[in-house]
Amino acid sequence: MEFDVIIGNSFRSGLGPQAAIFALAAIGLNLHYGYTGLLNFGQVGFMMLGAYGMAVMVATWGGSMWVGIPFGLGLSVAFALALGIPTLRLRADYFAITTIAAAEILRILIRSSHATDLTGGPFGLQAVAGDFYDLSPIPDGRYGIGTFSYSDSQVWLLIVAWILVAICAALVFLLVRSPWGRVIRAIREDEEAVRSLGKNTVSYKMQALIIGGVIGGLAGIVDAIQQSGVGSENFEPQVTFFAYAALILGGTATTAGPIVGAMLFWFLREATESFTRELSGQDWLPNFIADFLDGSEGAISISLTGLGLILLITLRPQGIFGKREELQLDG
Amino acid sequence: MAESVAPPNPLEGIAPEPGVAKPDPILVVDDLRRSFGGLTAVDVSHLEFQRGAITAIIGPNGAGKTTFFNLVTGFDAPNDGNWRYDGRRLKGRGAHRIARAGMVRTFQLTKTLAKLTVLDNMMLAAQGQGGERIDRALIRWSWAAREEQIRVQAEALLDEFGIAHMKDEYAGTLSGGQRKLLEMARALMAKPRLIMLDEPTAGVNPALTQSLLEHVRGLRDQGVTVVFVEHDMDVVMDISDWVVVMAQGAVLAEGPPVTVASNPQVIEAYLGRSTSDGSGETPGKEPRSRETGDEQVPEDG
Repeated sequence: MEFDVIIGNSFRSGLGPQAAIFALAAIGLNLHYGYTGLLNFGQVGFMMLGAYGMAVMVATWGGSMWVGIPFGLGLSVAFALALGIPTLRLRADYFAITTIAAAEILRILIRSSHATDLTGGPFGLQAVAGDFYDLSPIPDGRYGIGTFSYSDSQVWLLIVAWILVAICAALVFLLVRSPWGRVIRAIREDEEAVRSLGKNTVSYKMQALIIGGVIGGLAGIVDAIQQSGVGSENFEPQVTFFAYAALILGGTATTAGPIVGAMLFWFLREATESFTRELSGQDWLPNFIADFLDGSEGAISISLTGLGLILLITLRPQGIFGKREELQLDG
Repeated sequence: MAESVAPPNPLEGIAPEPGVAKPDPILVVDDLRRSFGGLTAVDVSHLEFQRGAITAIIGPNGAGKTTFFNLVTGFDAPNDGNWRYDGRRLKGRGAHRIARAGMVRTFQLTKTLAKLTVLDNMMLAAQGQGGERIDRALIRWSWAAREEQIRVQAEALLDEFGIAHMKDEYAGTLSGGQRKLLEMARALMAKPRLIMLDEPTAGVNPALTQSLLEHVRGLRDQGVTVVFVEHDMDVVMDISDWVVVMAQGAVLAEGPPVTVASNPQVIEAYLGRSTSDGSGETPGKEPRSRETGDEQVPEDG
């Protein structure tokens, strides 16, 4: 059993591009759910539109990535409006149902064979991020120790991605501490009370949905850059729930929560995966365990991740950065 | 007592009959109707509320008092009818626009914002904070000065309501009575000209009730119109200038407290017995005679 491999892999994953992408998605969700109380189960839809917006602009229409990025973000805004206008007046649960359905409908449309000319349909789009990697100032090579290492292009991506994470976290931090943020936090507690004090709550919820959605769109764009392509299989509903897991693990309505939560989530994912992979190669294992492991490493590792999440959330129901006393307050 | 030093009552001499015109109405309701399925919850043909007065709305459970509140404050839409606040027609306006126009309400079940501090609850209610706009939220200097003004106002009001020591606590940690106080103080932060209180004393202990009622009187002295729903007849008799009695959605009677309390129809609506039996038991009559003898601290505001 090579623990240095497991640990190296885990750190590589915990600080890697997936963690940054999910940190961004979770920061957007934090604005939606943590601060405004909007139960958005369709964050992956915003990510998908960001990613596909950019990819279609580059791969299908032959445009520049630097036009594709604002285009993708613009589509995220449009998605927020399309989702929000009919549903934000309704109760929170209707909104939640609509978001998950809308994101899934969008994914099915994008991957349908009729859309192949535009989105690549089931094949997705490739070679969409050349412009980004051309800018890399990082000399060729590998950086890091042991398995905790990244290629030069990954290092370049990680620098940009984590800077984006920092910027978005700072933006949300400043927003929620402004008078605007006081209104959205109040909406989370009781929308009617806020209306009774002269605030147009529907408009505030829409603003929060757009800003958090654009941050989600940015997460999708980083994902498209990281894979240098897009595919609809990367935007299944579970992405939203992984982002929720990261957010709750780190602590909702906190600044560092979504970031550290995403790091911890991907650290755990890789740690359990590396561990089961290493374990299944051991000679000393009794046959029945080896047979059991053989071929089901993926399923077992994700179960172990789930177990880890359950343990963490049992020990700290408020998340790593959350305040326990807030959980005990009732409306 | 507050009544004795108050200016002459402009409602004196107004006939105590449903829908009677007032000298200077701030809120006028016409043919307001709301039904839920087959049940008509509110059906008010005409009702006026005098500016600067304390008007109580009473009535048995299910009389439509809260629905009436919800309708005129924009929290529910009527099937039919109209109402004017200060001459402006309010039908179809959102609740937030009605509140901005100066007509602010509280709720029967308090709506304190649990995970906001008491001070944040208060500051939220202030009007005219440009930093609440998304395009100015990040430009701190554009709202910091106003924020400071609001903070000073909020702290002064909290002090007045005796909950200043809780200002940095989560509002969710307040007791039921303190929440009622906070909700009323918060409504005042919005600088209303007409405040509508839905059962302001429900669940509040007697000592707090007295201080709450003093605040209500103080509001009237500052020229704020108060309309409140109340079940406690002692409270109604004690502070209201005018009483509106609702039953089955309609206005059954209105008039000065003493007149209403001895109205046989009102007694019947409350006690459900025929008027000939109940002539000796007027709701609130006895409490009033007890109340008026009590000594009370005069308003110091």
